[in-house]
Amino acid sequence: MENINFGIDLGTTNSGIGKFYQGKVNIFKNPVGFRDTLPSVVAYRNSRILVGDKARELISVQPENVFSSFKRKMGSEHIYAVPAINENKTAINFSELVLRELINFVGDDKPTAAVITIPASFDTIQSNATKTAGYNAGLQEIVLLQEPIAACLAYANLQNIPINEDKTWLVYDFGGGTFDVALVNINNRELKVMDHEGNNFLGGLDIDNLMVEHILCPVLERELGIGDLWKQIVGTADSPYKKLFFELLYRAEEAKKELSIKENAFVELDIDSKFIELEITRQRFNELIHSKVIETITLTNRLLEKNSVTNNQIERIILVGGTTYIPYVKTTLQKEFDTIVDSSIDPTTAIIMGASYYAGTKTRQTNTAIAEEKEAQTMLSDVKLAYEVNSQDDEELLVGLVPNEFSGYYRITRSDGGFDTGLITFHSRFTEFLKLIPKNSNFFSVKIFDKYQNLVFEKENLVINHGIYNITGQPLPNDICLEIDDSLGTTYLEKIFRKNDILPLSKKLYKTISKPILKDSGEKLIINIVEGRAETSPASNLCIGYLEIKSEMLSANLLKGTDIEIDFEISESRDLTINVFIGAIDLEITEIFNASAKQVSPSKIQLELEKSLINVDDELLSYHPEECSPAVDKLNGVRLEIIDLLRELIEIDGDLVTDRIYNIDERKRKVFQIYDDLVRRKHLLAEIDNYQTAKMEVKESLLLKPNPRIEGLFNKVIKNEAQFLNSNQLSLIKSKTKELDKISNEIYYQEDESYINLFYFYAYRELSEYVDEKLARNFINGGEKAITEANYKELRGVINGLYSLLKEKPKNYFDDKDGTLGLK
Amino acid sequence: MKDIITQIFEIENKIKPEDIAQFKRNFQRIYHELEQEGYTIINPLGQIYDERDVSIEANIADNGVKITKVLKPAVYKMESDGSNTLIQKAVVIVG
Repeated sequence: MENINFGIDLGTTNSGIGKFYQGKVNIFKNPVGFRDTLPSVVAYRNSRILVGDKARELISVQPENVFSSFKRKMGSEHIYAVPAINENKTAINFSELVLRELINFVGDDKPTAAVITIPASFDTIQSNATKTAGYNAGLQEIVLLQEPIAACLAYANLQNIPINEDKTWLVYDFGGGTFDVALVNINNRELKVMDHEGNNFLGGLDIDNLMVEHILCPVLERELGIGDLWKQIVGTADSPYKKLFFELLYRAEEAKKELSIKENAFVELDIDSKFIELEITRQRFNELIHSKVIETITLTNRLLEKNSVTNNQIERIILVGGTTYIPYVKTTLQKEFDTIVDSSIDPTTAIIMGASYYAGTKTRQTNTAIAEEKEAQTMLSDVKLAYEVNSQDDEELLVGLVPNEFSGYYRITRSDGGFDTGLITFHSRFTEFLKLIPKNSNFFSVKIFDKYQNLVFEKENLVINHGIYNITGQPLPNDICLEIDDSLGTTYLEKIFRKNDILPLSKKLYKTISKPILKDSGEKLIINIVEGRAETSPASNLCIGYLEIKSEMLSANLLKGTDIEIDFEISESRDLTINVFIGAIDLEITEIFNASAKQVSPSKIQLELEKSLINVDDELLSYHPEECSPAVDKLNGVRLEIIDLLRELIEIDGDLVTDRIYNIDERKRKVFQIYDDLVRRKHLLAEIDNYQTAKMEVKESLLLKPNPRIEGLFNKVIKNEAQFLNSNQLSLIKSKTKELDKISNEIYYQEDESYINLFYFYAYRELSEYVDEKLARNFINGGEKAITEANYKELRGVINGLYSLLKEKPKNYFDDKDGTLGLK
Repeated sequence: MKDIITQIFEIENKIKPEDIAQFKRNFQRIYHELEQEGYTIINPLGQIYDERDVSIEANIADNGVKITKVLKPAVYKMESDGSNTLIQKAVVIVG
């Protein structure tokens, strides 16, 4: 037989649900807002039923339609009139809604049986009322458990406390709105509530109010020159300070939390443009709450006296409820009762934990299979949902249609936890505007319930993309890319906008300067925007925007590493606007490039052609000189065309009238495309090979000599490997290989012996290469001695000395190379 | 991270309206970097109160309908599987 496993804390102020599984308890988070608990509040607003945080919010607006603390009326004949729906409800009805909401926290494996906790004070009628609420919520089997017992179980189980002798525990439950204290007798693994005491109107909220009244209001009165502020706040229902009161309550609660971990907290207020800051010390806070804590101590003492229990008979006090986070509560209890005050588990979820532990030991009596079959038969199959998949609006309309005169409820939630319609009644058809998070894929879940609130339809992962596509504009025919420097001295294309993105488009990129550009040095920063394919070489694409920032335009030197902001905008008519901002030198340039005018720079074309010629020559060298193959023929053809283009470029120097430069640019792109097609794939495969070899080398070294730090670096480099290896971006793969080589180098220098080779690298140089030959000679002698004595610490010092003496320092292969464009 | 985001938000709000222009780019950059790290930050100031928007913890005064003050922004975090999770509710005053 299966165990019940699910435990529910149906609290006066907050509720929660957990499950016992494989010896542990998992507390289910509220899918709306992802909190462990749900405020036990129900609200009716228009046609909606709201449960939890949103219901609580409406207390001040429509108090007549918001219901909280109804647990106190469980089992009574109290009738609640709900004006919004013109119906009467009972505490059982509201508890049922809270329980249904809690059951919703659980994913697919919904509970059909549960342990529900009740206060120690509940009589048989109140207990039965709780059971009725559970059955109404769809549970078929319910076991009740007293809250203090649940708390004791949570502590005993989590700490594995042996309960084999007679003990008395005190459960001190100081929550958000209520205080309860119970004496529990423990004997031979049996737990029994001996007696209890409490105050239904004493909790954390009273402490927040005290802080506002006695700490915040006096300061505000002084600073703002208002008299009797607290009285004005609470004195009338339509107080002009109502908004201020909410802010003060929020600040007080934040400060209260901070004072639980720190000795002082600062409260900052900005009221009518007046900035007020005040410090609250823990000492002052403790003095303030003293009377409230004493009130709980008095109730506790009364309970002990009633039951003739002395302080030293209490083996431990266990803490439950959020207010027990306050250190003063714990220390006062310790001082007063001189016993163990146990706060080892989260006091806000202790009851749920205990209920779930208990549920994990209780065997189910009913058959689950029959229930599931019955449920499966009633599911709706022909529900139609209509909506736009892509949207640029803040909200998108969803229409739902259910045939056959269906009446019931629907509820739509967003899976990120930020949107929830609550339960809404409908007949056959419903419409809802769904709120979207900008620039994101929004996943929704649509649920339909029959009039008894049984789930009859569920559609998960209904997706609406915001801002990703516009349904009216025209798509981009090619990628739009920015040419940037890599760390290897070459350039590559970074996508700004993707092919098929819909116009108009805008994007901001943050880059850095990749080479020093000194004022009036003749250097320049090049911003080149091309249209084409991001994975190809920059020069084979069509230039649509070209901007040079010359050194003469600079007000100061532009240093390598300086930040640069570039805004790109493409209008529906494909005009490109570039705005460049360099904060360090306060330079801002805006340029508009018209789609009909091609952007060409003879100097850049020349540079590209010259670089390519070297590459083609290098490529030809990789073939045998006598080899005749179509590839070699094509490469020779490319070579000749590049030379011809370079010649033509010289010829047109100074020609500002004819279109020849455009012709050259067109031919250049064609010839580069041919070259790209010829070699790119081959180079890519070769680079992937290099990468894999470098990766294996590091892996093997780490296997032989594990090092967590280097392993961390290694994993960082190979993260998203599939993505960059399939990117077709040669530069990207090359830079990854370089990073792996750098790691290999670091592994190599972990061995002391590696420094011997490095030493001889310096020792075998000409002495004339050193600034001070005599000192260098001394270093070399010292190094040789250190090697014979295996004194590697000394050897490292010698190497540092020799390096600093070198007139020209050797270049570090792993250092990033300066860029050619100046943009990285 | 959500506490750092709230602090940045508070600093931004402490700056007087006449001085904000000079910090605009800095805040844009900070929010851009946070976005790159998977955080979406939403300041609901000026929005109409919507009881379905559970990313907001509202204190409603004077039967108000508009969000007039934001004490904390809403923060979503993009998980590695591409799904979003609300990690901080906005705390607002409606009035």
